[in-house]
Amino acid sequence: MADLNLVEAVNRALAYALASDPAVVLLGEDIGVNGGVFRATVDLQSRFGAGRVIDTPLAETAIAGAAIGMAAMGLRPVAEIQFTGFIYPTLDHVLNHASRLRHRTRGRLTCPLVIRSPCGGGIHAPEHHSESPEALFAHIPGLRVVMPSSPARAYGLLLAAIRDPDPVIFLEPTRLYRLFRQPVEDDGEALPLDSCFTVRDGTDVTLVSWGAALQEAQAAADLLANEGVMAEVIDVATLKPLDMDTILASVAKTGRCVIVHEAPRTAGLGAEIAATIAERGLYTLLAPVQRVTGYDVVVPLFRLENQYLPSVARIVGAVRKTLEAS
Amino acid sequence: MSTVAQFHVDYTQYLDPDGEPVQPLPAFAQDASALLPLYRAMVLTRAFDSKAVALQRTGKLGTFASSVGQEAIGVGIASAMRAEDALFPSYRDHAAQLLRGVTMTESLLYWGGDERGSDFQAARHDFPNCVPIGTQVCHAAGAAYAFMLRREPRVAVTIFGDGGTSKGDFYEAMNIAGVWQAPLVLVVNDNQWAISVPRARQTAAQTLAQKAIAAGIEGRQVDGNDVVAVHQVLAEALDKARRGGGPTLVEALSYRLGDHTTADDATRYRDADAVNRAWECEPLVRLRKYLMRMNVWDKAQDAELGKACYAQVEAAVADYLAIAPPDTSAMFDHLYASLPRAMREQLDMALAFAPAAGNHHG
Amino acid sequence: MKIFKLPDLGEGLQEAEIIEWHVKAGDAIEADRPLLSVETAKAIVDIPSPQPGRIEKLFGRPGDIVHLGAPLVAFEGAGDDSDAGTVVGKVEVGARVVQEAPSALGAGAGGAGAVKAMPAVRALARKLDVDLAMVTPSGADGVITAADVQRVAKVLAEVGPAEVLRGVRRAMAQNMARAQSEVAAATVIDDADIHAWPARTDVTIRLIRALVAGCRVEPGLNAWYEGHTGRRHVVGKIDLGIAVDLPEGLFVPVLRDVAHRDAADLRGGLERMRADIRARTIPPEEMRGNTITLSNFGMIAGKYAAPVVVPPTVAILGAGRIHDAVVPADGVPAVHRILPLSLTFDHRVVTGGEAARFLAAVIADLQMAQ
Repeated sequence: MADLNLVEAVNRALAYALASDPAVVLLGEDIGVNGGVFRATVDLQSRFGAGRVIDTPLAETAIAGAAIGMAAMGLRPVAEIQFTGFIYPTLDHVLNHASRLRHRTRGRLTCPLVIRSPCGGGIHAPEHHSESPEALFAHIPGLRVVMPSSPARAYGLLLAAIRDPDPVIFLEPTRLYRLFRQPVEDDGEALPLDSCFTVRDGTDVTLVSWGAALQEAQAAADLLANEGVMAEVIDVATLKPLDMDTILASVAKTGRCVIVHEAPRTAGLGAEIAATIAERGLYTLLAPVQRVTGYDVVVPLFRLENQYLPSVARIVGAVRKTLEAS
Repeated sequence: MSTVAQFHVDYTQYLDPDGEPVQPLPAFAQDASALLPLYRAMVLTRAFDSKAVALQRTGKLGTFASSVGQEAIGVGIASAMRAEDALFPSYRDHAAQLLRGVTMTESLLYWGGDERGSDFQAARHDFPNCVPIGTQVCHAAGAAYAFMLRREPRVAVTIFGDGGTSKGDFYEAMNIAGVWQAPLVLVVNDNQWAISVPRARQTAAQTLAQKAIAAGIEGRQVDGNDVVAVHQVLAEALDKARRGGGPTLVEALSYRLGDHTTADDATRYRDADAVNRAWECEPLVRLRKYLMRMNVWDKAQDAELGKACYAQVEAAVADYLAIAPPDTSAMFDHLYASLPRAMREQLDMALAFAPAAGNHHG
Repeated sequence: MKIFKLPDLGEGLQEAEIIEWHVKAGDAIEADRPLLSVETAKAIVDIPSPQPGRIEKLFGRPGDIVHLGAPLVAFEGAGDDSDAGTVVGKVEVGARVVQEAPSALGAGAGGAGAVKAMPAVRALARKLDVDLAMVTPSGADGVITAADVQRVAKVLAEVGPAEVLRGVRRAMAQNMARAQSEVAAATVIDDADIHAWPARTDVTIRLIRALVAGCRVEPGLNAWYEGHTGRRHVVGKIDLGIAVDLPEGLFVPVLRDVAHRDAADLRGGLERMRADIRARTIPPEEMRGNTITLSNFGMIAGKYAAPVVVPPTVAILGAGRIHDAVVPADGVPAVHRILPLSLTFDHRVVTGGEAARFLAAVIADLQMAQ
């Protein structure tokens, strides 16, 4: 068992998949010889060949569309979109085709593909490299959307995504790529999709988050613990389909909920979670649900970025509001 | 200054609009009776197509896209393909689909608003009709790559319209297939019209075939109303692809004799005289004339064929009309391999509000 | 222009040759009239008109081959329904013209400020039988917390269950609340020196007479005012409401037309009224329609008050406890009997001057010996 950071965990998972299933192919820009601009695919082309680790032309639409054709013909393509800032040209194929192919052919043709892409801010990047598009994809019926928050979960969830018979959008928080290491067993064990992970037990408030924001959520939980407020922290992990059972059980226990996400507030997935809590968990609430999110502004360039990203202070402040109300 | 690249585009035709050979026919057509199956397939397609239009007009079918006048393209393509090849059509390729084994009833189900119409019992790997213009070209490129990776002697064939060649998907797919040298044949049904936009306003390029040059692949033009030419050119492209010779773009020149769809009225933007002139070049008449001249076909047989096709179509229509609409739960079937728990509540709601059994509205 | 296209000729026939037109542009024709003759592979067929109308244009000449779906004839006319206005599906065309009432920008009308409490707290309040309206919120933003509800529940447990107001008490609660919220009450206070009164003077009768005198001077205090419409009705007849205190609560029966009744009549009426009230046999009509009110609270205790004007009346005269007081009389202190008076009026419709003049007249009448 090695201590891996998130991008290394992705690399191991891809290697395991390529080694264990000859149908798996990778395609994307600069993933072969260069090993990917973030080195997620390093050494994979030399190990598995240029036929299965494909350096494509600069063509996101074709990458997504060709992946659909490959998947329908029995391959298991894992397409990389270099940054989520460039993922939008794939929306046509994802929404109009990948997510529908099984449904519109009554199961005759299926689309077991994965599109993986680095997302989120906090890496001091130029414009368009700090996107959080998970809500756009989560709105599409027939799709799965997954965002890991740790190396171990990245490894297990990516394997699950590759093995899943349906299309998965796998968003990797760039800020977490090398932020910390974790022991990860390279044993090919997948983690379950469609399920939240409770990463910290608590009794006073439920913090719900995903991706890089889990870092701030955990830091806030530490601070609150010093004041005697025990926060339960949930990593949503699979954003679509949402595991609301786990979240609702936690809210029933604590009576308070703060949702933290980097993506902009309006129509972000925090709204979906809050609405479902209102529908199914209202009577267990001691205080209104709070959302700590990116503002409804264009993600600012890095000079202001830290004031945009949900901070520990904002999270703690939101928790305090829930405590005051009750 | 020196010239570093030049291109040329070849045009292929065997039978002129009057059915007269303009050059010796290719080997497969030497025996005229070998062309009879092609002729029958075109006649059947047209009979189906007319009936579908009539069904729409009487409220028994939804919007339908007629392929009238373009039958030679689909028949020429499908007759050259192998069963194990895969077709990535547009939404106007009834001729190719029917010849590949898609039933008329399945096609009617699709246009009649039922997903089961895309669950082809034959042609299991062919993609269904594609509405987002040109996106099928990308799918075909990926499929071709899969065949190549697995060293299967299979070819992906995709058909799209002149309008589709303006789309980024078309170029990106052609380009990536060119880099891969994938076994892909791209066919443009250049029927001169993208709804109301005529070919001259679709691109400044002199031919659509030459767009292949930009992707570094071969581009050819063919008379799309000459089924012999279409078949021959496709056969050559398929063979080349199967031998690892890479993709070919084939521009098949034709004319959209009907409206864009049954909801469109082309008289709004087209001159009736131009349409009438186009009718004079249409594919069925020229082949019929050739076959009759070659004494392998006569008027009586033609009338018989017309009746037989009509009966076949009527039978398929009867089957289609007898199929009850799907159950409410069908909306939730095949959304994923298995319905996630999270969606159970929604399925229950849909079932709770489902119309009473036997109370269907189309 | 509506275009008629070559219809399905049946039996898989796809085309026909135009033999002869039977109509020309400009003709007005009826439905089913043969438009043209065409020859198919089988026979010569007449094509009937699908509709009545005037021909605008013909397509094709004799000898032309026309195909299924090709245009044949264009009819003149408004409502070009050959234009589906779409290329897919069917866009329904409705003829209905909708008249929409102007809509409010932003929120609609109504919606009072509600009590703020989480559902769990509301459920707790229901369980503990605590009326949230009685709970002072201690949460931020005026939110009632569970602790607040617990606190009030404890208090109520100690003080016992609340009594639901019914009947006359309930009516008083409602009327006084409404009065308080609608009326712009102002009060003027003074004393009447009644040392000149003979012994055993009927105080109530004298007060009634004095009030009538006030109304003569300022009839505007004997009126009804409807605040919502801003209309005042100065009433000629004085129907006097007299506040009567009973254990059950406050009753205000009405003595009709007091200005035109003599003392004996008034006394008889008063006594009948009191008897009927005690016996609870007073009919409801006798409790309604007063134009002005008298409250002789001094019979119990209290000198001055600011009694409540209940709409639609605009004035209430309160008489306090008659008592001896030292007053200046001819420059020297003297002990005189004093009747304290409080006049509360609705300042929306009665001016201070009117009220003061009314009171002056009341006092002048009271200060007379007889």
